[in-house]
Amino acid sequence: MTLTGIITILMYALAPFIWLMLAAAVIIVGLHLFAYLRGYQITHHRSVLALLLAGLVGLTAFVWVPWFTHSTLDYVATVVDWVALTSAAIATFIVALIVLHPLSYLISDRRTD
Amino acid sequence: MHKPLLLNRRELLKVGTGLGISSLLPFSAVSANTLQTQAHIVILGGGAAGMAMANRLATRLEGGTITLVEPRSTHHYQPGWTLVASGVWQPDKTMRPNAQFVPRGVKWVREYAASIDADNKRVGLANGATLDYEYLVVATGIQLNYHLIEGMSPSLVGQHGIGSVYASIEGATRTNQAIQTWLDSGQGKGIFTAAPTPVKCAGAPLKMTFTTLSRLEASGRRDAFEVDFMAPGDALFSQPWVNEFVKQRFDEQGVNRRHHYRLSAIDPQAKQAEFTFVGPDSEFTSHHQLREAEFRRDNQPTVIADYDFIHVVPPMSAHDFVKQSALIAQDGPFRGEWLDVDIYTMQHNRYPEVFGIGDVIGAPINKTAASVKAQAPVVEANLIAVMQGNPLPARHTGYTSCPMITGIGKAMLVEFGYEDNFAFMPSFPFIDPTDESWVTWVMKDRMLQPAYYAVLEGQA
Repeated sequence: MTLTGIITILMYALAPFIWLMLAAAVIIVGLHLFAYLRGYQITHHRSVLALLLAGLVGLTAFVWVPWFTHSTLDYVATVVDWVALTSAAIATFIVALIVLHPLSYLISDRRTD
Repeated sequence: MHKPLLLNRRELLKVGTGLGISSLLPFSAVSANTLQTQAHIVILGGGAAGMAMANRLATRLEGGTITLVEPRSTHHYQPGWTLVASGVWQPDKTMRPNAQFVPRGVKWVREYAASIDADNKRVGLANGATLDYEYLVVATGIQLNYHLIEGMSPSLVGQHGIGSVYASIEGATRTNQAIQTWLDSGQGKGIFTAAPTPVKCAGAPLKMTFTTLSRLEASGRRDAFEVDFMAPGDALFSQPWVNEFVKQRFDEQGVNRRHHYRLSAIDPQAKQAEFTFVGPDSEFTSHHQLREAEFRRDNQPTVIADYDFIHVVPPMSAHDFVKQSALIAQDGPFRGEWLDVDIYTMQHNRYPEVFGIGDVIGAPINKTAASVKAQAPVVEANLIAVMQGNPLPARHTGYTSCPMITGIGKAMLVEFGYEDNFAFMPSFPFIDPTDESWVTWVMKDRMLQPAYYAVLEGQA
């Protein structure tokens, strides 16, 4: 498989989700920018609640990812299946944390205003 | 109509990537891959095989003329039709304009081919025009012979409880509706059939049975439905391990398997199907020879079966104009029905300037888009070698692949080739072809269509 072949396949695979990915990117960047303007620093802010919520959102991936692929958790059977689904759950957790972490700062910042 | 000169987003990215990569290569490395020629190459058919060859040859040849004969303006992703007929996909997901894939510089003749005069290197078109060629790539696909089942017509699909995933995208959609109507009735008998000939996507009749079983089980009234599978021979699939697996799974899921029965007639109004008993000596193998005479019911026992839903798989062959040409197999198992090519080199056995690719060729397996992926580089390399007067450098292993859907949401990635009695040829060492898997289903649902389009563009 050539590099252009891989790129072609990825482009066709991602094409239906381009606008969703762009919208998500705009929300995440916008949120972080807004939070930074309010004094947020990713390494200095600690939020157990954001971590817990992101963890819960990550766990929901075990339900909605199979559903999103027209399947169910019952059919996740092989080691490869579980590795793939767990990876999807971890990715969901990371994205959720990237959103919830600055959000928790903004909420706590508003409380202290 | 050819592509407009303006580049779209996809082309821009590819051009940019290509320029970036090519800037790292010495010029000789790029130019060594192209062949200067004045030859005229005609490609018959713009399906997966024809379009892949048009793109590959357009990249490799400089100065020649490439003519693609393809009447349709819409390209159908046929591997998605089972998902449409199962109610998983919407039909429009399987359609794209052919103009998106026809490469710049290729002459696109939007007309049906009507004849091939191989001795005079000439192709006749339906409008009466002719095309002379120096080299010919036959990629005309398959002909659905519904007429060999008495009383059956593709226009009946969707009516009177008749389904057939093969008929067309509209037929696949109406098949889904027919299955849903049967489900909504809450009971009754469904009959799933197979054909006594090689068929495109040999797994499709099995997939339709498995996905319908999923829907029956999800309805909560599985016991109210009877399901029969009527096979013309003693096997259900050419790959031995998968064949035994499917038989066992059908038994476990309460499917009544009946072997050596061939659908010979249908009465849509009465919802009755007539099956001819063709056993026990006959075998359902891909080498089976189809003859119109075989469909006569004289002196052969028949049975009449009532049904509430029936999935019809028609006998298949090369198109009539290919069958009537000198290119058709003259002897052997594919005699009179399929293109006569060497199944390893893809070159015609009697006309060295002719190559075959895709469903039209006489081969024991290989009527899938995955086969085209494996065949296209072989045809490209060997055709160019013939043009240069060199020995044929490439050989096809017979590789084919079938994501065997065993239920809505799970599948097995079955890949195999000619050797060792169709032994498995897994592409991914971490995926066991004998495991039912969600990941394999995801590949079928999300990844194979992008890979298919990459094959069309000559990129995979």
